[in-house]
Amino acid sequence: MSEIIVVTSGKGGVGKTTSTANIGAGLARMNKKVVLVDTDIGLRNLDVVMGLENRIIYNLVDVVEGNCRVKQALIKDKHYPSLYLLPSAQTRDKSAVTPEQMIKLADSLKEIFDYVILDCPAGIEQGFRNAIAAAGRAIVITTPEVSAIRDADRIIGLLEGAGIKKIDLVINRIRMDMVKRGEMMSVEDVIDILAVNLIGAIPDEESVVIAANHGEPVVGSDTVSGQAYMNIARRVLGETVPLMDLESGTSLLHRVASLFKKK
Amino acid sequence: MKVFQKDFLQTSGKIARERVKLTIASDRLACNQDEMRQMQREVIDVLSKYMDLDKSFFKIRMDIVYETERGVQDVKTIQIK
Repeated sequence: MSEIIVVTSGKGGVGKTTSTANIGAGLARMNKKVVLVDTDIGLRNLDVVMGLENRIIYNLVDVVEGNCRVKQALIKDKHYPSLYLLPSAQTRDKSAVTPEQMIKLADSLKEIFDYVILDCPAGIEQGFRNAIAAAGRAIVITTPEVSAIRDADRIIGLLEGAGIKKIDLVINRIRMDMVKRGEMMSVEDVIDILAVNLIGAIPDEESVVIAANHGEPVVGSDTVSGQAYMNIARRVLGETVPLMDLESGTSLLHRVASLFKKK
Repeated sequence: MKVFQKDFLQTSGKIARERVKLTIASDRLACNQDEMRQMQREVIDVLSKYMDLDKSFFKIRMDIVYETERGVQDVKTIQIK
């Protein structure tokens, strides 16, 4: 029943950590027990995005090395009681953990939680190898840029090679105004190139940056990106949720208006 | 120069799409220009072993076809000679 999902992208800075935090918060909103694991050893980030940086006592490497029990290292989220973080170590490097240790850790978390979400480091080196070793499912994050799509294609190939069957795509930072002018690749363009299942598209909104500044999730706020992340969480659960109109948000009036516009 | 003018008329989104398609195709091939030329020579050698070919007068095209879980996806046709 429980699932281990890796969130990965290849290229850095496309929104892996932000997406991990928000998809996790979305699942927790639907009363799922979720743990987010920061596997980026040496470059810890998920804790600050979630606003939990002051509460860290033990980290992932401590658990792996047996300095503490798993439950001692878990940090409960500020907003959602069923959401937990397992922070990464800041003073170690990727070689501190092996793929076998990561599998063992993720499997032990799987017994406690409904969803174990692994925030993968950028790149395709050991940190990536560690993170994907344990996962049964992957969410690939990309942006509508040549460099990010190229890396996503490579990552998808590596995930398939590693035997991960279920691979979903999130297209982040879409600017509909630019897509309309033809100055940015559209969601359709990106799916056409990568040929994987789209699980959601997130508009490039100020609210995402502002929420991260505060160490809060954007999920649960009255914004298009918050709604888009919530929809992704629903689709992770297997619900069928239609893709929303990124431009006008979710209001019924806007949707009806856009129906007429298409004609 | 002509190519450049054509680029001016295209939107940057379209240009990005074409660029990423080509890049991904060559990434998937995973061979560089030297290897490509070597392969060209070898393919011609193999073909000439079995067929009577005028080497200066024919073209070889390679269709790279990818099979994904969602079906066959033809990605790129490459002119070898």
